[in-house]
Amino acid sequence: MAQNPFPLGKDELLKAYRTMRTIREFEERLHVDFAKGDIPGFVHLYAGEEACATGIMMHLNDNDRIASTHRGHGHCIAKGVDVHAMMAEIYGRSTGACRGKGGSMHIADLSKGMMGANGILGAGAPLICGAALAAKVRGDRGVGITFVGDGASNQGTFLESLNLAAVWNLPVVFVVENNGYAESTAMEWAVSCDSYVDRATGFGMPGVTVDGTDFFAVYEAAGEIIRRARDGGGPALLECNMVRFYGHFEGDAQTYRAKGELEAIRASRDCLTILSERVIEAGVIGRDELQAIDREVNALIEDAVRAAKAAPLPVADDLLRDVYVSY
Amino acid sequence: MAPVVGIVANPVSARDIRRVVANATSLQIADRANILLRVLAALHACGVRDVLMMPENGGIRAHVDRGMMRARARGEDIYPALHPVAMPVTGTVADTHRATAEMRRAGVAALVVLGGDGTHRAVAAECGTVPIAGISTGTNNAFPEHREPTITGLATGLAVTGRVPPHIAFIANKRIDVSLNGGAVTDMALVDVALVTERYIGARALWRTENFRELYVTFADPEVIGMSAIAGLLEPVGRDESGGLMVRLSPDGDCRKGITTLNAPIAPGMMAQVGVTDWRRMPADVAFVPEVAAGSVALDGERELSFTERDRLSLTLRDDAFRTVNVAAVMRHAGQNRLLTGTPVPVTAAF
Repeated sequence: MAQNPFPLGKDELLKAYRTMRTIREFEERLHVDFAKGDIPGFVHLYAGEEACATGIMMHLNDNDRIASTHRGHGHCIAKGVDVHAMMAEIYGRSTGACRGKGGSMHIADLSKGMMGANGILGAGAPLICGAALAAKVRGDRGVGITFVGDGASNQGTFLESLNLAAVWNLPVVFVVENNGYAESTAMEWAVSCDSYVDRATGFGMPGVTVDGTDFFAVYEAAGEIIRRARDGGGPALLECNMVRFYGHFEGDAQTYRAKGELEAIRASRDCLTILSERVIEAGVIGRDELQAIDREVNALIEDAVRAAKAAPLPVADDLLRDVYVSY
Repeated sequence: MAPVVGIVANPVSARDIRRVVANATSLQIADRANILLRVLAALHACGVRDVLMMPENGGIRAHVDRGMMRARARGEDIYPALHPVAMPVTGTVADTHRATAEMRRAGVAALVVLGGDGTHRAVAAECGTVPIAGISTGTNNAFPEHREPTITGLATGLAVTGRVPPHIAFIANKRIDVSLNGGAVTDMALVDVALVTERYIGARALWRTENFRELYVTFADPEVIGMSAIAGLLEPVGRDESGGLMVRLSPDGDCRKGITTLNAPIAPGMMAQVGVTDWRRMPADVAFVPEVAAGSVALDGERELSFTERDRLSLTLRDDAFRTVNVAAVMRHAGQNRLLTGTPVPVTAAF
């Protein structure tokens, strides 16, 4: 076996690949099942963006908090939320992560530090400031990560949160997942300052741009930014330039894309292919080892779907359960 | 016919991890556009009426257009006409390569470049004999000199309109050619080639000194930062003298007895101690084969290529590789000959 040239050991590389493959398979299966009419509500798929969630979450533990978006399945899986509970939630079953009452856009698991996907654009940013303030007050070295798309980065909540995090020197990382489109509006039509790093600079924090399809680029940059936040260095912004393989939502006809655009990005910017080719070429991991993971992941997703379909739906009495919490 | 000038302005320089691991500058898009407007005004003042520009989706052009529109609305005629090069935008370094090649074919008299060392390297790879006028908007910026862009624009305008003799207006520059496996892969650096033990490209920037092994520089300037600073603080080598410098660094930050320990600014605001085992002159046109068996090749401060024990790597410094506008010499000549007065004295320098 060749010497490992990467910043992660073989076990960690296999874990990263497994996480990315699980996200991809999860989303590909939802794409099929949603088209069949099996899934209630709206679904926004993370396929194509797996390197971002995985490269960041590899640096976190359960004590660290994340606040996700409407496109949150990848964040959940990378943060360690149970895939069976996620699938059941998306299928609206009582065995789901939120007892089947939240659906795709409201999956949460506080035990894993996953504060929730969020159907309101830009709403995760102020939430993570609260979590980061709590970590800072407790002094537990926890960090908070919030994700926004290029569209949600225009929301006032996001900009106010940048200001708050800078003023209070909170251990927060604002991750802008720039897939080039706010729903169907190309970024250059809708973002006045053109560069998210410029926005960070305006609020007095550093901003970094990386190729979000390159797992190692995300992993390395995120590692430095998260370590800085954990050590008390304050907030920062990380822009990951990436691609989404499906529409804004399932059912989106994607008429705003150029002809051949999707085929081109799938062929040249598939983060899963890029990662697997690098580790195989370096001789660190064999193709057969990755294929074994593929089979295990396929079986996992198949079992998650089977279990979700077999699980009961919530009943009327569940409606007001978990709505209020007694302190 | 008035000369045409080309412009390459990179909207994504100065965005890497050195904003976090150091306190590197982060020049905003609006400021890059303002720099460009200052350059355009200076070119126009020298008689340049048409400028070609690399298209980009980063927003620079939109801000420049807005500034030019506002000037026109006030009745001011202070800018040349700006024409985008007709080409698709990929948002990668390929745009710089293609735009430079297209502008060279279109016959531009000079190329004004806004970016860091990496952007200038991409332009130098395709510019041929077209001189470059560099403006630093990147991170380490060892190659482009730090100067008010208005002056760079003025010097470029004076040079391309023939008001300064070419032997004063332009100066030759060096580069280091990198060859992997007998030329199967080739690349180049304008300032430095660093060999590091990290064998992945990742976030590209260099800041972990414990991984530094070998360093090859075209010039060693103690006034710059980055890898070139290491060489410059050992033995300065000028931009205008033949050859460069090769430096061997001790592994794992080991600074034992007999090894020179150097405290060098390896990134903006980042002083680091490096152990140096050897340094020597790097003559032009002599192929150097590194001792490092495997790692990454960083060109002008960014990891670009990785290589293994199976690969054959060689580095060759070339004198007189490409030309730049000699801004200091042009402006001195302009002052001595009163080129910007109403009645300039005749050009006296001999060709």
